[in-house]
Amino acid sequence: MAKRSFFLYLAIAVAIVWSLFPIYWFCRMAFLTPDQIRLFPQPFLPGVFELGAFYNIFGYDYTYAAGFSTGASGQSNQIIRGVFNGLFISGVVTVITLIIVLPLAYVFARMDFRHKEKLLFAVLLSVALPPVSTLIPFYSMYVQLGLTGTRFGLILVTLTITVPFVAWMLIGYFRNVPPIERLARIDGYSRMSCFLTLILPLSKSGIAVAAVIAFLFSWNEYTYALVLVNGTSANTLPPAISGFLAQYPEPGNLAASIIVTIIPPALFAFFLQRHVTEMSLVDPVR
Amino acid sequence: MAKIDLVKLRKTFGAFVAVQGLDMQIVDGEFLIMLGPSGCGKTTTLNMIAGLEGASSGHILFDGVDVTDAPPHERNVAMVFQSSLLYPHLTVRRNIETSLRHSKITDAERKRRIAEAARMLEIEPFMDKLPGHLSGGQRQRVATAKAIVREPSVFLLDEPLSALDAALRLSLRSELVNLQKRLGTTTVFVTHDQVEAMTMGDRIAVINGGRLEQIGTPDEIYNAPSTVFVAGFLGSPPMNLLEGEVSGGFFRRGQLAVPVTGAAGKVTLGVRPQDVLVVEPGTAGAMPVTVFAVEHLGRESVLIADDEHGAKVRALVPPGWHARVGERLAITPEPARCLLFGADGNRILEPLARAA
Repeated sequence: MAKRSFFLYLAIAVAIVWSLFPIYWFCRMAFLTPDQIRLFPQPFLPGVFELGAFYNIFGYDYTYAAGFSTGASGQSNQIIRGVFNGLFISGVVTVITLIIVLPLAYVFARMDFRHKEKLLFAVLLSVALPPVSTLIPFYSMYVQLGLTGTRFGLILVTLTITVPFVAWMLIGYFRNVPPIERLARIDGYSRMSCFLTLILPLSKSGIAVAAVIAFLFSWNEYTYALVLVNGTSANTLPPAISGFLAQYPEPGNLAASIIVTIIPPALFAFFLQRHVTEMSLVDPVR
Repeated sequence: MAKIDLVKLRKTFGAFVAVQGLDMQIVDGEFLIMLGPSGCGKTTTLNMIAGLEGASSGHILFDGVDVTDAPPHERNVAMVFQSSLLYPHLTVRRNIETSLRHSKITDAERKRRIAEAARMLEIEPFMDKLPGHLSGGQRQRVATAKAIVREPSVFLLDEPLSALDAALRLSLRSELVNLQKRLGTTTVFVTHDQVEAMTMGDRIAVINGGRLEQIGTPDEIYNAPSTVFVAGFLGSPPMNLLEGEVSGGFFRRGQLAVPVTGAAGKVTLGVRPQDVLVVEPGTAGAMPVTVFAVEHLGRESVLIADDEHGAKVRALVPPGWHARVGERLAITPEPARCLLFGADGNRILEPLARAA
């Protein structure tokens, strides 16, 4: 017993270090002054927390307390656009994904119709396709259609990832919803009103998780964005950050941009957690 | 209040025939049990009565009105589903309220009916809780309240007690019967549990393989089963069914000889364990058996023995009766209590056993 709990705690400790150490590493980096970054070994904690790198990536010069100053980053216009484009594109993708997927997943999970298995396979097959495999066809198509460098184009291509993935997730979720349709029909609900007024409110935890996943997929999407919109006014954060690698190395700015990128996922993870526990509360009613 | 007629009701799923040509009449105000093994078509029949599934052919009449194609809420039925299905995200009160969506009644009447149902089922303390926070028995009461609040003409119950533990099932059984008798609503109750069927029903319809085997009072079903299936399905311990042949006025199986009349050829003899006597080995006409086990039930014991052909035979013996496993005994059925079934499985009426 004691032995088992020792290994359990060891596993938990490894998991925590595994997931938190990278976060610690770039948080530390973001707050180190350029002088400290040049030291070897670097200090484990910055002595003072100064927001210099954050000023720089959003296009402001910053004078440190020690007297020296750093200039605005050349990548700042891409970062600023990246934040707004990312929020806009991810928001639109999330809404469209849910509008498409909620009825689709419900129908696949709860109804029988001809060729259902084949259609389901077709939907889910696209989850298995790595984005790289469709990148070149999409690129040449987008060039001809004039969709490269547009937010509309990126929304369209991101939907090809989020729709099948979220459908896959929600089909499983809807399958486990108690079979209240029969009850609803006895109570005189039509199929549509049963779906809208009973199934959807009942599934709000699953839908919330699905929405978060759609948002995060879109927010973190890198492959398509790099090829289709990088360097244009429709750029998103991941390719904008990768731009630092091609420039005069500014590790502090890179780390600060990463912190900006993980704020939405971190906030969502917080909400997700609440809903995941709620999901398990709904379940035993079956 | 309604009388229900099922006329040549048939349901197929592709090539599979779930219900084949069911003719049945459900009397106004009765508590009818549909009993059968799983997959026999009893739930499908119930769903057709509710309107959840369309009939492939045939008709369903409520008080003489054809409702075969009417949607569920126009039939004024209420249904309690297996494991007491409720809307998990609505409170008990809201769950009950949804039953009245289509009832054109005043708010005051609505409140009165909900309060009345809550009082009858004693669920007032948890009207504002979610179903997930209730025990199985409480959910069952809520599901029943949801059903009665509509004041339906027919109650349909699909194995509502099957998910509960034995003690709770026992108390809810009598509560349901008591409630049904007070309300006087026609009730159809589906179950695969023969004890539930025997104790609750005014009449029992035994269904097997999509066909009605027999419909009648528990007494008729138990004492005068019309087919081998019914005979074997009801009763605990189960009826002994012995295959043999009739010749010269005797049913013969090995050394067993039981005087019968009115039958010939290959038949099955059915006799309940309480009508089997244990006698000394070597008694003329008795069946030699080897003791397999003795089960003590308290008020009586059951002797389970192997006959010459390896078939298990059961006999009721007084409490305190003893026999070693492997001991040789003989048994003989009481001729007047024996039933004969023909090769087609139907009972040969009036076996007219002579007093031996």
